[in-house]
Amino acid sequence: MELILQSIINGLIQGGFFALFAVGLVLIFGVMGVVNFAHGELVMVGAYTVWLLHAQNGIPFIPVILIAIILVTVIGLLMERFLFRPTCNDPLAGLICSIGILFILQVLATVVGGDGPSKQVPPPYQGTLILFDFLRVPYQRVFSFFVSAAGLGTLWYFLTRTKLGWALRAVALDREASALQGININRISMIAIGVGGALAGLAGALMAPLTNINPHMGHNVIITAFIVTIVGGVGSLSGAVIAAVIYALFHTFITVYFGGVIATICGLLLMVVVLIIKPTGIMGVRVSE
Amino acid sequence: MLLEIKDMQVHYGNVAALKGISIEVGEGDFVTLIGSNGAGKSTTLRAISGLDHPSAGIIVFDGKRIEKMSPDKILKLGIAHAPEGRRIFKDLSVMENLLLGAFVRDDQEEIKKDLEAIFIHFPRLRERKDQSARTMSGGEQQMIAIGRALMSRPKLLLLDEPSLGLAPVIVQEISRILVDINKQGVSIVLVEQNAELALELAQHGYVLETGTIALDGKAKSLMDNDHVRKAYLGI
Repeated sequence: MELILQSIINGLIQGGFFALFAVGLVLIFGVMGVVNFAHGELVMVGAYTVWLLHAQNGIPFIPVILIAIILVTVIGLLMERFLFRPTCNDPLAGLICSIGILFILQVLATVVGGDGPSKQVPPPYQGTLILFDFLRVPYQRVFSFFVSAAGLGTLWYFLTRTKLGWALRAVALDREASALQGININRISMIAIGVGGALAGLAGALMAPLTNINPHMGHNVIITAFIVTIVGGVGSLSGAVIAAVIYALFHTFITVYFGGVIATICGLLLMVVVLIIKPTGIMGVRVSE
Repeated sequence: MLLEIKDMQVHYGNVAALKGISIEVGEGDFVTLIGSNGAGKSTTLRAISGLDHPSAGIIVFDGKRIEKMSPDKILKLGIAHAPEGRRIFKDLSVMENLLLGAFVRDDQEEIKKDLEAIFIHFPRLRERKDQSARTMSGGEQQMIAIGRALMSRPKLLLLDEPSLGLAPVIVQEISRILVDINKQGVSIVLVEQNAELALELAQHGYVLETGTIALDGKAKSLMDNDHVRKAYLGI
């Protein structure tokens, strides 16, 4: 019983991270039609920023989170302007460009941090929250959970309560019809990749003290993001959040009882099962045309 | 002239969709383009609103050349386009759809007034303003499309097949509203396959055949034209 409750809490915290990067991937795909293969590397850059500035150079954690967000947002904006916009009529070209960026960022990370063993960031928040005498949640995880929830809440507010957020959803649904409303598609693409980048940077920064940091950590991230996106329904932001939480719980439980590798295999199987039984995902809607 | 198109050609790849057409729309006019499928009616509207760009010829709107402008700039000049197939944002609410029509405007008070005017034209949209547009009937979706286009407060409204797939009662209702909108000073270019309806509503008509203008004239005289009667009115 204790193990189950503990796993649920760990799963929810994990779900917050998954949601942060999966939502960004969905947003960029929806608005720009580009599958951003480098999304995992954006998360990696966020984590490296924390390692370099906080763990190596002692800059306080909170300002470093902001720097990570800004840095990754800027990388995203540069990708939009110089790669995705010039290739916007050719989705395959955009995809290949994003794979190129993936390798470039991995190499840059190796240049900055060397190719030795994975790096660890000592948790800035020490101590453990103890609930009901038996549930143990390190404060670092409590902090990460509330910050990711706040990030997702802000995104939800932006998308549903502001005119710019409606425009973003409109472009994801129908670019041409959006242009006819006077919406500047290039500007909305910049916002989408900026928001997606900011969320990826935040996810990376929050994960840094809780995970192994190395140039290839983006690999697991992108696999998770794809599983979550497909289970949630490609193009559905709320689906991505729900699927992130479900998948994180699923992944955590299997990790606890059978180990991490089995958990990833089961995750990919889950994706295959969803594709066979309900290809549109749990929240996806069949797109006509 | 509010809108003047001269010798416009539009190509899709190597295929000429329009082979040099000229159209004029005066302030307050109600003009219709009729013709069969593939004659180039929708292409004409798409070129005016900037979705497609002409390969030759010019488009002048309100004294400005617009044939190379992007759709968002053309909308700001005062042309709204309710495209073929309605193209409303189905996952968004009715209200969000309408307010996106006013995306480029900042005058909150005036936007509220225009919204009110649209709800008076289409009371059903008010009743269902918070519902997702997906749940609305075909006629209601067409009302959203027209309402959304009006929310930009256009000088010129381009309408592509608003009657398509709708029950006759709804078509009548929408027709009545289009005449109203036109009387309030909005110029209209209506593309229709239902030539009878279009010629009843409009003052002036152009008949498009395979990318050229075969005939043009007052709507009433077109209705009496033998060729139009045979080819488009089925009389």
